[in-house]
Amino acid sequence: MRRAGLRALLAYALLLGFTLLFLAPVLFMLVASLKPNEQVLAEAGTLRAFFPDTVGLDNYRAVFERVPFELYLASSLIVNGLIVGLGLVVNAFAGYALARLRWWGRGAMLGLVLAVLVIPFEAVAIPLFYQLSWLGWRDDWLVQAIPFVANPLAIFLFYSFFLGLPRELEEAARVDGAGVLRTFFAIVLPNAKAAFASVAIVLFLFHWGMYLWPLLMTTSEAVRPLPLGIASFYTLPPLQWGDIMAFGVLMVLPVVLLFVVFQRWFVRGVASTGVKG
Amino acid sequence: MSRRHPGEGAAAWLLMTPALSGLLVFLLMPFGLAVVLSFSNLRMASPLPLEFVGFSNYTLAFTETGLARALLNNLLFALVVVPVQTALGLALALLLNRPLAGRAVFRTLFFLPVVFPLSLVAVVWVLIFAPGPDGLLNAALGFVTLGAWEPRDFLNEPFWALPAVMLTSIWQGAGFQMVVLLAGLQAIPRQLYEAAAVDGAGRWRQFLHVTLPGLRNPLVFVVIVTTLLSFRVFDQVRIMTRGGPQEASNTVIHEMVRTAFDQGHVAMGAAMSVVFFVVILGIALIQRRLLRQRGEVA
Amino acid sequence: MTHMDFRAALAPVFRLPVPALPVLALVLAVALLPGCGRDGEHGSMAADSAQRIEIWAHAGREEERRTLEAQIDRFRAERPEVRVDLTWIPEGSYNGQVQAAALAGRLPDLLEFDGPYLYSYAWQGHLRPLDDLLPAGLREDLLPSIAAQGTYRGRLYGIGTFDSGLGLWGNRTRLRAVGARIPDDPGDAWSGDEFDALLERLARDDPDGQVLDLKLNYTGEWFSYAFSPLLQSAGGDLVDRAPGGLASGTLDGPESVAAMAAVQSWIRRGRVDPNLDDAAFTRSRVALAWGGHWNFPGYHAALGDDLLLLPLPRLGEATVTGQGSWQWGITRRARDPELALAFIAFLLRPEEVLAMSEANGGVPATRSAVRKSELYGPGGPLRLFARQLEEGYARPRPRTPAYPVISDAFARAFQDIRHGAEPVQALGWAARRIDRELRDNRHYPEVAGTAR
Repeated sequence: MRRAGLRALLAYALLLGFTLLFLAPVLFMLVASLKPNEQVLAEAGTLRAFFPDTVGLDNYRAVFERVPFELYLASSLIVNGLIVGLGLVVNAFAGYALARLRWWGRGAMLGLVLAVLVIPFEAVAIPLFYQLSWLGWRDDWLVQAIPFVANPLAIFLFYSFFLGLPRELEEAARVDGAGVLRTFFAIVLPNAKAAFASVAIVLFLFHWGMYLWPLLMTTSEAVRPLPLGIASFYTLPPLQWGDIMAFGVLMVLPVVLLFVVFQRWFVRGVASTGVKG
Repeated sequence: MSRRHPGEGAAAWLLMTPALSGLLVFLLMPFGLAVVLSFSNLRMASPLPLEFVGFSNYTLAFTETGLARALLNNLLFALVVVPVQTALGLALALLLNRPLAGRAVFRTLFFLPVVFPLSLVAVVWVLIFAPGPDGLLNAALGFVTLGAWEPRDFLNEPFWALPAVMLTSIWQGAGFQMVVLLAGLQAIPRQLYEAAAVDGAGRWRQFLHVTLPGLRNPLVFVVIVTTLLSFRVFDQVRIMTRGGPQEASNTVIHEMVRTAFDQGHVAMGAAMSVVFFVVILGIALIQRRLLRQRGEVA
Repeated sequence: MTHMDFRAALAPVFRLPVPALPVLALVLAVALLPGCGRDGEHGSMAADSAQRIEIWAHAGREEERRTLEAQIDRFRAERPEVRVDLTWIPEGSYNGQVQAAALAGRLPDLLEFDGPYLYSYAWQGHLRPLDDLLPAGLREDLLPSIAAQGTYRGRLYGIGTFDSGLGLWGNRTRLRAVGARIPDDPGDAWSGDEFDALLERLARDDPDGQVLDLKLNYTGEWFSYAFSPLLQSAGGDLVDRAPGGLASGTLDGPESVAAMAAVQSWIRRGRVDPNLDDAAFTRSRVALAWGGHWNFPGYHAALGDDLLLLPLPRLGEATVTGQGSWQWGITRRARDPELALAFIAFLLRPEEVLAMSEANGGVPATRSAVRKSELYGPGGPLRLFARQLEEGYARPRPRTPAYPVISDAFARAFQDIRHGAEPVQALGWAARRIDRELRDNRHYPEVAGTAR
C-alpha cells in the first residue's frame, strides 16, 4: 500500500512538472498582456514575467485602437461558421449516401474519397491560389471557406458512423413509405448527434487556426481572419509585446471558453480521428 | 434486406453531388493543375507566353532553390519531433490513465495548446526565445544550469533556429497525441491486465506485453500523423524565422510559398507542390503497409 | 421516381428541426455579405466611382502611417468630393499581394511599392507612365535620384516622396583618439587602404578588436543596398547595365571579387561586430557603422555631438552610395489617373514632403523641400546624404524586372562569403543564377498591350 501511495505521489509530481511546462507559455502570455509594454521584454528573464507588479488593461485598449480586431474576429467566426455549417451538411450527405444507399458508382466514389484523403491541402494551395485569383475570386470570406467545405476526412467519419448505425429504424421508416431524404432527416439525423458534434469539432479545430490560405487569398482588413491578424499585428511597428500578447489572449479566449465548456466533445472528436483513422 | 428502393440512385447522387463537386473543384482540379503547371514557365502576372519547359523546374528546384535543404530540414524535424512528441504524449496518457484525482483538469491543461492557433503560438514563442540573458528561455536555462548557460539568439543562429521551431511545435501538438493515446489506453480491456497479473507479470512486462500491443494502432496513427505534419510545417517558420538564418529553418512548404507567392515563380512552386505530394504519398504507403501487416483495414 | 416523390423527398430540407436551420440562415446571410465587406473606411458618402481613389500602402512605422493618414485628411479637406480608400498591407507579403491582385484584376488606383519592384510591375504592364501627367515644374524639382529610380526604359513610372541615405556613421571621440582624417565631403572619402589601416589602428585600442558594424544582423535587401555601392566604387557591379547585359563577367569580375574580398578580410581579421543585439554602435562597442538615414534618431540619442556622418570608403576613384525607397505609381486600372496624380502632386508639396521626411527620417524627394529641411538643408547633420543624392554619388539599383532575383542571389552570396566561401565562387554562383533568370525571361522584351 505504501508503494502505491509513493507511486501516486510520483505521478502527481510528474504531472505538476508537466503542467508547469505546458502552462508557462500561456501564463507568460496572459501576464505580459496585462503589463506595460516596455516591461514585457525587460522582465521576461525574471519572476516578474509571471508575477507582475503592475497590471492593467491598457494593452487591450491599444489593440482595438491600433487594428480593427472586431473585424478580424468577425471574419474568423463567419469563415469558420461557413466551413462547419456547410461542412456538416455536405459531408453528412455524402457519408450517408456512401454508407447506406445502393447506387451505381458507389464503390468508385468511396474509392475516390479514400484516395483524396491522402492529398494535404498544402499540395494544392499554390495551384488553387493561382486558379482562383486568375478567375478574379479572392479577398472575401467565401473564398476562405468554400474550398474547405467538402472534406474527405469528414465524409469518412460520417461514413463510418452511419455504417455502425442499426438499420432497423430506417427500414421501418422506408416501409412506412418515407423517401430517402425524409428518412435521413427524420430518422438518421436525430440519432447521429454525436457524430455531428465530433465532426463539427474536428472541422472547427482544423480550420480555426488557418494561416496559409488567408495569407495567399486576402488583402483587406475587412476580411482578414485572426491568425493572419496576429501575424500582421506582430509585424506592425512599433513592436509592442504587451499589445501583441493582449491580441493573443483576446484571440484564444473564445476558443478556450468553448473548449472548456465542450471539453468532452473536443476530446472525443479528436480521439475519433485517431481511433477510426 | 436487399430490396431495392426506387429512386435510391437519384437520391444518392443528389446527396453526393455537393461534396463531390467540392472535392473535384478544390482538390483534384488544382492538383492536376499543379502537375501541368510544373512543366511550364508560368510566372505570376508575366506577359510572356506560356511554354512547355520539360523537367527543368524539377532539376532547378533541387539545384538552385532552397528545396533540397528544406527537405532535409523537414526530415530532421520529423526525426526529432515524431519520437519526442509521441513519447511525451504517451507519458502524459499513461499518467492520466491512472485513477488520480484531478485527471480531467490535467487533461484539459495539456490539451489546451492544441486549441491555440499556430500563428499565435509562434508569436508567443518568438518572445520566449528573445535573445540575451533577459529572454525567458535563456534566463530559465541559466537558472537551471546555475549560470553555466550562455545566452543564445535562438531564432537567428543557424544551429538553434530549427530546434526552436521544433520545440514550439512539440509544445503545441503533444496534447493531441495524448488524447488519442489515452483513448487507445482506455479501449484496452481490463481483463488483459488482470490475466497478465495472474500470470505474474510485473508492471513493466504488462506495459510491454499488454499496453504496447493494445496501443499499436493509435501509436501508428499518431506517428503517421505527426510525420505528415512534420512535412507540412509552415506557419511557425513563416512567422518565427522566414526560413533563416541561411536556410537553417526553411521547410518545403515555406520554400514553395516563398517561390510561388513572394517571388511569383508559380511553375517552380507547382513543381515543389508535386515533390511535396510524392513525399506525402510515400509516407502514406508506409502507413498502409504498417497497418496491413496486421490484416487490419485502414 | 416521379416528380411528386422528388419534391416530397426534398420538402424536409426546408423545415428542418435540427441544427440545419441556423446554418441555412447563416449561408443566406453570408451570401449577401461579400459586397459589404470591401466598403467602409474613409468618407463613406459618395458612391460616385469617378471621384474615388483606392490606395494600397505598406504598413510601415507608426509615424509614417499616421502621417499618410493625416495627409489624406488634408487632401480631402481641399477636395471634399473625393473619397479615399486606404488599405495597409503588411510588408512581409507585399509583392505577393500586388502580383496576386494584378492577376485577379483587382489592383487599386494608386499603389505604393518598394523601389526594386517598380521595373517588374512596369514591364508586366500594371503601371501607367506618368510623363504626360506630371507638371514640368514638379519634374524639375525632383531629386535626380528619385527620377532615376522611377524611370524604366525611358519612361517615368514611379515617384517617391522621400529617398534613402547610405553612409558610414562614426564615433568622433574614438576616431580622434587614433588621429583619423575625417572626410567631410563626399569627394574625399577614405580610400580602401586608408580604411583598412584605420580599422587596425582602432582595433589596437578596442577590447575585442571589433570596431566596425556592417549590420550583419539585417536580412534581405540590406546586403545589395548596402554593399553593391562598394562593388561599384571598385568598378564592378551586380549586373552589366547595358541592354542585354548579364551578371557573369560583372558580378564575378575581378573588380567585384576584389570588393567582396575586402569585406571578407575585415570579417576574417575580426574587425566586424556581429551586431546580434542591433546595438553595437549605440553601446560604443564599435567606432564605425555602415548604416543609413533611419539610424539617425537612435544614434543621435546615444552619441549626441559625438555622432559623425561620413561617406562610404572608396575602392576606386570615388565613393558610391545607395539610394531608393518606397514610391507611388498609378496602375493601368486607375479609374481617374488625373485624380490619382493630383494626390501624388499633393504629397510632393514641400510641406507634405517635409512632414513625411520628419516622420521617417528619409531624404526629402524634392530640391525645394531639401532646402527647407533642418536635417538635410545646408548645415544640417544629414546634409551629406542629400549632397550624395544631388551630386551624383548615388547609383540606382539595376533597373530590370530581375532585380528581386539579383538582390536575393547577391544576399545569399554575401552570406556565403561572410562564412568563408571564396568570393569568386560565391559570386560566380550568384551570377549564373541571375543570368538564368534573365534568359528565362528573354531579357524582358517589350510586350505589346500588356495591360490586362
